[in-house]
Order: sequence, then C-alpha cells, then structure tokens
Amino acid sequence: MADLLLETARADALWERLAGSGRLRGLYRDGDPAQGLDAAALRALFTELDAEETVGATLGVCVQSTTALPLLAAAARRAGDPAHPLAELVRDALAGRRTIGLAATDVTPGSDLAALTTTVTLAEDRLTVTGRKEWIANAGFASHLLVLARHGRGRGIGDFTWVVVPADAPGVTVEAADTPLFDGSGTGHASFREVTLPPDHLGGAVGRGLIDFSRHIAVERLASAAWGHAMCRRVLRETVAYLRGRGEGPAGLWAREEVRRRVAECLTATAGLGALIDAHADAVTGRHDQLAAALLKASAARTVEQVVAVAAHLQGARAFAAGGLQTLRAQAGLWSVGGGTYEVMLSTIADHTDRLLDAPA
Amino acid sequence: MIEQGFADLLADHLPEAPRPITEQVRLRDAGLDSVHSIDLLLAIEDAYGIEFPAHLLNDETFDTAGSLWAAVDGTVRGAASPAGNGGRYG
Repeated sequence: MADLLLETARADALWERLAGSGRLRGLYRDGDPAQGLDAAALRALFTELDAEETVGATLGVCVQSTTALPLLAAAARRAGDPAHPLAELVRDALAGRRTIGLAATDVTPGSDLAALTTTVTLAEDRLTVTGRKEWIANAGFASHLLVLARHGRGRGIGDFTWVVVPADAPGVTVEAADTPLFDGSGTGHASFREVTLPPDHLGGAVGRGLIDFSRHIAVERLASAAWGHAMCRRVLRETVAYLRGRGEGPAGLWAREEVRRRVAECLTATAGLGALIDAHADAVTGRHDQLAAALLKASAARTVEQVVAVAAHLQGARAFAAGGLQTLRAQAGLWSVGGGTYEVMLSTIADHTDRLLDAPA
Repeated sequence: MIEQGFADLLADHLPEAPRPITEQVRLRDAGLDSVHSIDLLLAIEDAYGIEFPAHLLNDETFDTAGSLWAAVDGTVRGAASPAGNGGRYG
C-alpha cells in the first residue's frame, strides 16, 4: 500500500470534491441516502469515477456511497432523532467530512456471512465488540467502521446486528492489507478487542443486520456493474485507438479481421451488460431486487474479466507496463469476489430459475 | 387461511414446494435455508410495505407457510407486539 498519509489525503480530497460538487447528494433521491439511490445518477457517477480515479479510490466510494451511507441513513431515520449520533455521522459523511468502512467480511469465508465470528454483546448501558474483519475498503482512513456482528448464538437471520465503531476507540487496531492492487482504497484488516461503546452506537435495529445488509448490498452490486460497464467501454476505446495506430497501413492492426472479431466479442458482451443494466437498474434501486442484482453482478464479473483479458492481450507487451492492462486484469478479479462472490450470485440466479424462464419474453 | 398473493410469493421463492401451498407446508422441507430466508423476507417486506420486528426473526416464524403468514398478517395489522428487540436503536 502507498503511504497511508498520502492515501488519506487523497481520499479526503476526493470526498470533499464529491460533496462540494453536489455529486454525492445527487446520487440519492431528494438528496437523502435513506430514500435510496437514483439509477441514472449512479451510472453517471461511476462512469466519471472510472475515467478520473484509480480502481482503489473508486472502490472506496462505491462501498461507502452505495451501501454504508444508505444503510446508516435508513437506521438514523428509524431512530427518529436528528441529534442521534447516526444522523450526525450521515450528515458529516454527506459533507465529505467522514469516511466509513463497511466491515462485513470476517475471518470466516465471505461467501458464508452467517458463519461470521465477530460478536457484540448487548447490555443496557454498553455494547462490547470483539473479533476481526478483513479486506475492508476504507479501513485505513475511515473515521468509523460499520461492523456486522453476531449478537445471537445461532446462524439464524435474526442473530446479527450492525455496530458503528469509531476507528479511534480503545481496542480497535487497523492494519493495511498487504496488496499492491488497490492503492487508494485504504483496504485493511481491523481487529476489535473488547471495544466498549455506548448503546447509541448500534447501526440499526438489533437482529436486522443480515437483512439490512442484503437489502443495501444489492445496490452496491448494481454500482459495480455500472462501473464495470464504464470500464469495459473505456478499455475498448483505448484498445481500438491503440490498434489503429499500431502496424502498417491507415488502420494498423485494426485492419486485421482476427483482431476485429476478438474486439467484436468484447463489444457484444459489453453491450449485453449495458442492456441488462438498462433493464434492471430501477428494480435494484427501487425495491432492492435480489435476483436483478445477482444477474448484474454475475454478468459484470464475466464481462469485465473477458474484456480486460482480451484488451490486455491485444495490447501486447504494452499491457505489462506499470499501470497497464495486465495490472487492471488482476484488479478486475474484484468483480468476481467483492460484494458477493460469483458463485453466490449464480446460486441466487439458480434459485429463481422458474421466475426467469416463465417471465414474458 | 393464507392469502393467495402470499402463497404466490412463496411459490416464486420455493419452486420445490408442494402445490398448492397450504398453511401446513414446512418451509425448510420446501428448500428454505438461511440465505433463501433473507431473500424471501425482503420480498415480503417490499410486497406488504412492512418491516419485520426482530422478535419475529426466528425459526418458529419460518417453520411453516402458516406461521410465516401469521407473522406477516400480524405485522401488517399492527397486532404484533412492539416489545422485544425490534425497536432498539440504542
């Protein structure tokens, strides 16, 4: 990871720009994260971020703006008090003054959230959080970590609760993840050693942790699809421009039919992803449709992987340069893992086989 | 007696469940696990415009189609007790 102070300064500056330009509030209906996201604004923002920012920085924005903030804002609205700490945190985050890490993934496999071992004990006068979260975007510079913890003993859907943990609370330790792939994301691991907090640090109703997570992660899956779609289009534009200038003749390598066909395969997949987003974006932002989100996430994972791999291959040795497409190709693995694995998406899709096959053509 | 719209919603999420879906159908036998439970719960909350109180998020509620419908109907009617953990936000 690059120098954390520099990363923090860049992240702070990005949030200030997003807040100052109105793009952050513009992401939400009526400017309120509790009202949900506007699909068109979401697509526009992630297209801009893909063009302007690193993969790591965009990842940090994706997690905070599409999952953490709406989840917290909904909880703040339910709490009903504008002076509640949750409401204050949401206001500060919307103003670009706070960064939040969504600490869901535990030391246990991310594909089985119900197995997570981080716990919160609930007493009348305090909450106590113990455990460890890994591969958390924004962890390195977050002011707060939104921690999904088990308060019950079972694996039932009512056994989990969100807790808002200030990153500087006694007992919290954050370490940078050892990866060169996501600079700008502040990705790290967080440990919680009997972190004691006032009871108003709950991040939602007791027992609704998994449910609220599932509802809001659907929008993050849409955002990742929109981001992936923008990335594929950008990579293909750059690759075709490169091919046209490479080799002999006015069209360069682009004149070779085998090259054009490989690009055409990528264009087909990218257009398919775009059509899927067109068809399902409103269902995800409007009613958090789990099947629609899974279709988008699975399609994006495969499309990004295909397009970046083919484009990197067509760019030849150039793709191996620092910051080249071979690096992006490794980063693109994120689409198959982060925010729900490809396999989990396929299981959700398979569960709705009849709904998909019986739907009007 | 469960509402037809609710039975249709269950059928959509539990393709292996016997038809017609009656109150006695055991949801776990029909393929409902913890992941499916969340998916189904979100669909129910959206369809009926409700939010399940936390004290109803247990195995008893998700035992049969009838027990789940009773929880939905009770929540819709506001008859479900507001006690328990459902309202706690600290």
